[in-house]
Amino acid sequence: MNTPEKGYGVVYRPKEKLSEKKRKTVFKRLCDIVGPENFSDKEIDKIIYSRDFWPIALRWMLERKVPALPDCVVWPENTKQISDILKLANEESIPVVPFGEASGVLGGMIPVKGGILVDLKRMNKILKINDKDLTVTAQPGLNLMELERLLNKEGYTMGHSPQSIYCSSLGGNLATRAAGQFSTKYGKIDDMLISLEAVLPQGEVIRSKTVPKSSTGPRIDKMMLGSEGTLGIITEATLKIWPYPEKKELLSYAFEGMESGLECIRKILRRGIFPAVIRLYDEKETAFRFYQTGKAKDKCLLVLVLQGDKELVELETKVSQDVCRKHEGIECGEGPVIHWFETRFNVKEASDFAPREIIFDTIEVSVTWDKSIELYNSMISAMENVNGVIVAFAHASHFYPQGVCFYFIFGGTPVKGAEPNEFYTSVWDAAMRSCLDAGGSISHHHGIGLMRARWLGEELGPSFEILKKIKKSLDPKNIMNPGKMGL
Amino acid sequence: MLDKIKKYSWLIDSLMEAKWSTKKEVVHNFLNAKKKYVPKEKTNAKVGDILKCALCPNMCRFDCPVARVGNSEALTPAAKSRIAYLMEMGEIDFSGEFVDLMYKCAGCDASREWCPFDFSVEDLLVGVREDIVDKGLAPKALLELKDKLEKNHQIYNQSLIPPDTEAEKARILYFMGCTARAKVPDVVNTNIKLLEKSGLDFATIPDEWCCGAPLSTLGFKDSFYKFAEHNSRLINKSKCRTLVCDCPECAYVFRELYPKIGFRLKAEILPMNQFLLRLVEENKIKPAGLQGEFVYHDPCALSRKLNVCSAPRELLKSIPGLELKETYFSHRETRCCGMGGMLGITNPEISSKIGESRISELKEVCSNIVTACPTCELAFKNANKDKKVKVYDISEVLLKSLEK
Repeated sequence: MNTPEKGYGVVYRPKEKLSEKKRKTVFKRLCDIVGPENFSDKEIDKIIYSRDFWPIALRWMLERKVPALPDCVVWPENTKQISDILKLANEESIPVVPFGEASGVLGGMIPVKGGILVDLKRMNKILKINDKDLTVTAQPGLNLMELERLLNKEGYTMGHSPQSIYCSSLGGNLATRAAGQFSTKYGKIDDMLISLEAVLPQGEVIRSKTVPKSSTGPRIDKMMLGSEGTLGIITEATLKIWPYPEKKELLSYAFEGMESGLECIRKILRRGIFPAVIRLYDEKETAFRFYQTGKAKDKCLLVLVLQGDKELVELETKVSQDVCRKHEGIECGEGPVIHWFETRFNVKEASDFAPREIIFDTIEVSVTWDKSIELYNSMISAMENVNGVIVAFAHASHFYPQGVCFYFIFGGTPVKGAEPNEFYTSVWDAAMRSCLDAGGSISHHHGIGLMRARWLGEELGPSFEILKKIKKSLDPKNIMNPGKMGL
Repeated sequence: MLDKIKKYSWLIDSLMEAKWSTKKEVVHNFLNAKKKYVPKEKTNAKVGDILKCALCPNMCRFDCPVARVGNSEALTPAAKSRIAYLMEMGEIDFSGEFVDLMYKCAGCDASREWCPFDFSVEDLLVGVREDIVDKGLAPKALLELKDKLEKNHQIYNQSLIPPDTEAEKARILYFMGCTARAKVPDVVNTNIKLLEKSGLDFATIPDEWCCGAPLSTLGFKDSFYKFAEHNSRLINKSKCRTLVCDCPECAYVFRELYPKIGFRLKAEILPMNQFLLRLVEENKIKPAGLQGEFVYHDPCALSRKLNVCSAPRELLKSIPGLELKETYFSHRETRCCGMGGMLGITNPEISSKIGESRISELKEVCSNIVTACPTCELAFKNANKDKKVKVYDISEVLLKSLEK
């Protein structure tokens, strides 16, 4: 590694370095594939492409360490180039790490074994908007906000609005099976995908048909969803879109405890109503985010946004209001929802607290209704019991007629000489153990990356071995994003 | 204060419940840890703020014009802060590509629109550039530019429209600005004609120096001080009550940056379009009419830095027959022309790409583009390679409407 003598330390160093001769040959061939303007082995690019938004990587930033350096960065402009890059990487047994916009929170893009970093930013176009079919076809490097703004401009929405909408790419969202804050109505990115094109690890290109549904055997293309770059690179996707909603209704209610709030939501969904946004905050998170809402003091605040066709929204609003009242929800009006809209992208905790040695992180899990309250209680208490944790709270924010996603937030500080990363890992361990014991799934929409890798075996059971076999068969030299997801 | 206590009650309550050892550790870290992560010696750069930006997931990246056209991670706002942080902490040298990156910013302030800390990436980078200058490591081309400015007091070599000499008596001073005088002199002539038609007693400044924006932006704070001192002395000793600026960046520098270094102008400072609207409202200028569709481009300095979005629109709407069109990205969510933050000089290639990208968005709407900043006008004229659109300054449109 070309690390200066004075300067940052590199945490993960590959065991085998590329020889100078191999480096020269490979770099030349990469330049031939993508063009010299789309290739870099500059120190500045290697540093910048060394990490994502994983809190441990942020800690390293404070300690002036860099997680890992890729050997080089390439910016392919088309599928053919990606296919050629993967063929070359296979031939030379060099790792390849796909890169979107690095907003992942689990270390999924850190090039732990070095190699070729494939940044997809120069494949960032909308290829087609089909009004009749209500679909958009776009390239993976497109920023989600750019996509949404361009759709809005033409009178549509994709309805996919994660907190990372400003700083994540379409490809990254597909590769991690992401979910947006409007998911209860519009679905998660998995539900939005109709078809895709992808390059598999050995360079083969697959492309699925753009049809609403087919019965033609297992869907190979869907294997790319959630593969986090370990099974190939998504190069194009066709997704569902919707006419821009003509009406929006904002409601909020306060409930005595999470149980009664959750029960109310379950009943709304049971009536066949899918508000775009449903968010139920526990007492502590309500105090954190809605301290100005007097009626919600010491209670759990429920935020609802209903949107779409005017007449339908009016009816859905009426029914939702009736159900909330029946469950003794205290009406808090539009104010808290407007506040949520205004502050939902204020991602400040890491910047504010990390330099003060106070560590915050989020853990999202899913569970069916019947186990929901037990899982919530046990995960909160598991995190609170870790020495150094000051707060642990949660909201529920993605809902199904069958269950719910809880989004936990913890904050704390290492005590008695513990290292920050040690403290951080111990909270995660407690949370994951408790989630599995309570019958939940360890991740609803952030994915696995490095952080959750060691829990994936227990999560998937025998299926994990099958996943490993599939990986081995598609990627025998393990070049695609090695070291991630326990693969 | 009460609101702050309420705001943090969740944290205070939780802390109260925590074990004594945790409480002690939290309070100790909260008060002391931060010192470890900023340099011991004094820097011009606000390293604490740069660190906050570096620790952000890059929430403003989608609206950064440099990142949008450059399509490389290093060009995104938080990435610049990450490199700036490592440099300021002494982990990487102030050299080569690291220093160059500190100038790849269009100074458009789009970052501030989306930043939960209200940071502008340009502001963060200016401090780093000042450190670069103090260390004697400023790029040679920029040092030459500074020397030229100090010698000529203007940024461009071209011959300039000579200023008036009646400045001491006039109540209204028209600050023409280097870009308009040297690059789009028609705008200056137009403004003078409009001011003459209004019948007001106005003058230009005999010894007008550049407002100093280029020097401030590039981190030459000592030179900037000299320019601020000169211009403010001239203006303050005159009888001027209103200082009208053709360029919104000049107005911003007078209004916001001069006071920061101790020079407060006695005059009211107005961008030209706001002043012209006032003249129209007072019936001192009466637009007769102009047929046609015009799309208005909000200059970053006017809309975001000075928060002036409605005045130019009101002015255009006051012209009978003129149909005002809008782009999707308008008002404070406008997109940069590419020439801000001295990018046209430090990184002309990136600057032109941004200009081309913006002009194509404007072209989609109609073929008459009107703006209220000479730098934007210049950028669009440069980017208008196929000559399919006409680019106007708002004053030119107003004058045309009088002449009909």
